[in-house]
Amino acid sequence: MASQILPLELIDRCIGSRIWVVMKNDREFTGTLLGFDDFVSEFLHHLLSVVGNASSFPIDMVLEDVIEYEITPKGRKSTKLAQTLLNGNNICMLVPGSDGPEQA
Amino acid sequence: MDGTPPPPEATPPPPPPVTSGSPTEFLKNVVGKRVVVRLTSGVDYLGMFFSRLRVLSCLDGYMNIALEQTEEHVNGTVTNRYGDAFIRGNNVLYISAAEPL
Repeated sequence: MASQILPLELIDRCIGSRIWVVMKNDREFTGTLLGFDDFVSEFLHHLLSVVGNASSFPIDMVLEDVIEYEITPKGRKSTKLAQTLLNGNNICMLVPGSDGPEQA
Repeated sequence: MDGTPPPPEATPPPPPPVTSGSPTEFLKNVVGKRVVVRLTSGVDYLGMFFSRLRVLSCLDGYMNIALEQTEEHVNGTVTNRYGDAFIRGNNVLYISAAEPL
């Protein structure tokens, strides 16, 4: 059987590389992942490896060289940001290694 | 004089290592710096991260924030100014450094 990768393991492997974050609403972010929640990584990781369900836990992330994309009726508006702590509550999808909607 | 061991060293134990790049470390780094806080509603708060609150961390799963010299921005224009402001974490979309760390 192929080896399993837990969701949080995948994110952990992304540290240091570009990541594309798609939010629940019309908003997206790209940035270099510097780290994510201590609490999740240290405590819940153990818990999740037993339960095997990461989907219901928010993952707060620290990103660098960030571009925020807001999808409005008029089109896509992008904003550059420096080091940013992104709240994990509204995250829908993470795309490792991608530089976002302009590259995809 | 007698055989009693010397009292233990008074130096406190070193703080537990913080993973570099973690949210907790980010919050430590922005204390006293100017930050932009964007709420999920799209309203921005530009202010100085409160330097007197050192224990701010997001270990509780929230992003409660105290700011000094706060400006409220709606659609790019200043709509309000507050001396001190407390922002309840559930409304926060992100906290971004507005000056080099």
